[in-house]
Amino acid sequence: MTDNGAGSTKGVYEAVVRSNKEIGQRFYRLGLEFSGAGGETFAEARPGQFAQLDLSGAPLPSAGAIPEGLADAARRGIILRRPFSFCDVVRKDRKTQVEILYCVVGPASLRMKGLSGGDRVSVIGPLGRSFSVAEKKRYALLVAGGMGAGPLLYLAKVLTGESSKMEVVVFAGARTREVLPFRRPLDEISRQLGFSLGEFAEYGVKSQVATDDGTAGYEGLVTDCFSEWLGEKNLPARDTIVYACGPEAMLAQVADIARDKNIDCEVSMERRMACGIGLCQSCAVECKVEGSNESVYKLCCEDGPVFDSKEVILSS
Amino acid sequence: MDISVDFAGLKLANPVFTASGTSGYADELADFMDVNALGGFITKSITRKPRKGNPTPRIVETDSGMLNAIGWANIGLDRFVEEKLGILGNMSAAVFVNVAGASIGDYVSVVERLAGEEAIAGFELNVSCPNVEQGGISFGTDAGQVAEVTSAVKKVSGGKVLMVKLSPCVTDISVTARAAVEAGADALSLINTFTAMVIDIERREPVLANRTGGLSGPAIRPIAVYLVNKVYNEVAKKKGIPILGMGGIRTASDAIEFMIAGASAVGVGTWNFVEPDCAVKIVEGIKKYCADNKKKSVKELTGSLK
Ligand SMILES: Cc1cc2nc3c(=O)[nH]c(=O)nc-3n(C[C@H](O)[C@H](O)[C@H](O)COP(=O)(O)OP(=O)(O)OC[C@H]3O[C@@H](n4cnc5c(N)ncnc54)[C@H](O)[C@@H]3O)c2cc1C
Ligand SMILES: Cc1cc2nc3c(=O)[nH]c(=O)nc-3n(C[C@H](O)[C@H](O)[C@H](O)COP(=O)(O)O)c2cc1C
Ligand code: FES
Repeated sequence: MTDNGAGSTKGVYEAVVRSNKEIGQRFYRLGLEFSGAGGETFAEARPGQFAQLDLSGAPLPSAGAIPEGLADAARRGIILRRPFSFCDVVRKDRKTQVEILYCVVGPASLRMKGLSGGDRVSVIGPLGRSFSVAEKKRYALLVAGGMGAGPLLYLAKVLTGESSKMEVVVFAGARTREVLPFRRPLDEISRQLGFSLGEFAEYGVKSQVATDDGTAGYEGLVTDCFSEWLGEKNLPARDTIVYACGPEAMLAQVADIARDKNIDCEVSMERRMACGIGLCQSCAVECKVEGSNESVYKLCCEDGPVFDSKEVILSS
Repeated sequence: MDISVDFAGLKLANPVFTASGTSGYADELADFMDVNALGGFITKSITRKPRKGNPTPRIVETDSGMLNAIGWANIGLDRFVEEKLGILGNMSAAVFVNVAGASIGDYVSVVERLAGEEAIAGFELNVSCPNVEQGGISFGTDAGQVAEVTSAVKKVSGGKVLMVKLSPCVTDISVTARAAVEAGADALSLINTFTAMVIDIERREPVLANRTGGLSGPAIRPIAVYLVNKVYNEVAKKKGIPILGMGGIRTASDAIEFMIAGASAVGVGTWNFVEPDCAVKIVEGIKKYCADNKKKSVKELTGSLK
């Protein structure tokens, strides 16, 4: 828990589970509370940063509560921590509440689902580089794919809070309505005004939804929805910034769209991580070297997970 | 309780090292623990030229372990000297530089360049890495080549401690251990990882981009304990050569098991990822065990297996 000189004091902290709510098919929202030094440290956690959760001691859900297709995964033991980013951070009464939006996909996230109020979890964080909050920009366009919506929700909150002159618009995509990680209901008037997602509307942020099968919002890819919208708007490129989080193929498309329009773009990358703290070199992200055809590997956990889209080599 | 040890002529404050490739160049670990509480520190493998390493995925978890195929990603000898020697020189732990290469010439040139550096107590020769095309494990599984690279390096090591890291992927580990010792190794470290594979059954492809990787973590511990005991009995004890034992150590109990089997010191690898300050806790645990069992010196544990 030493100060790393950059103002943040990443360390190993214990959190207490305060809530763990199902908000849709296989996705949940976990509320972790930090007090003492952990509370002070996590109060400074920025959007796009992440934490490494030790879920090895968390209980598996009962046999009947294990989602279809994950019965074999439930048999697997885990040792490594897992990386998760934050969808909200709230400081209150000298404690810090950190919220994580997560999807149940394997043995660790299954155990996460098994957590309940009062359980304790060892957490390393906050880790990595956050999205930059570009104060000189007027328009922030947030593009989310699937679970990528989590960190962008927190980003929307910070952007609207710290730089109120900024206009923020969100594009959230998913395969189908059931797996869109949002559920806060909206009234008809809000919807007509362009607020599709209650979670973002709370921050006064407009949003558009895209589903591959058209069960909610735009029918098609979120990148097409975003690109069409951008084409109609003609925003001043210099005053605009794009932030994206989601599957790499989606990030590649968003980066292309932004580059064509000369708009700055930051993408949040995912890699399998053993440590999350720069020890193992497992989380390599291939990056361009300026003025050369060579590439270098940077670390997703330390140099990222947020990168300038012009820097990373994205595979589509 | 004093748990200092003599390790190949080096006086160590305690017998706990962090293993190569699992603790960066020490500065990363310093955010989580007092690195001066370590007995020894081993850098990740350094090669003559910088290496980008393998494409991703580079790791995959298994039950009770993990596979890695990092591919010796490292900053190379020149940048290591420029950027990292300073930090390492300030450490009170004995610093070993892990050296890797594709040819004997590669090993020799790295050791030759570093032999005069005060910051360094010794070298660990990685002749046992499963994740690169040439060198590494191909050296480590052939006793003749282990001997050749060891004696070539010995000549240029400037009197620093020369430790050879053995691969478990051999029929008889005592054969390579003996080859290293007869060629001039001052210490042996074991074990490196086991070559292994995990398959994605949907894609019918290996999960790792490198196809195979090295298995480490608690899964390998009982095999590592056995191999340490075997090398201790068949080679090290007679020759008075200390063993740095490792493979799946998480706790002081695990570490003590290795020492009873014959290790003079222990290395913690994979567990640094889970509990970045585990090495410090292990130091404390060994102290407690020695005090509780009325050991005058931690040395009494080494090879005390009945
Ligand atoms: C910086 C970062 C932030 C993240 N934030 C969130 C978040 O806010 N919410 C959330 O639900 N998830 C997030 N993830 C992903 C999350 O870490 C994984 O879903 C989790 O590790 C899965 O563990 P598991 O044991 O349940 O499944 P596993 O068995 O480990 O994985 C299930 C499937 O997902 C794939 N997979 C696992 N980890 C990764 C990875 N890192 N990249 C690509 N594929 C992977 C595996 O190939 C496997 O097919 C984040 C990942 C990173 C790197
Ligand atoms: C991610 C990772 C990277 C490693 N890199 C190296 C390396 O560069 N050189 C080396 O000699 N051993 C390397 N090792 C092997 C360890 O030093 C150690 O011998 C092995 O992992 C067994 O110990 P453990 O089970 O405690 O991890 C690496 C291991 C891991 C898990
Ligand atoms: S996850 Fe270990 S270095 Fe990034």
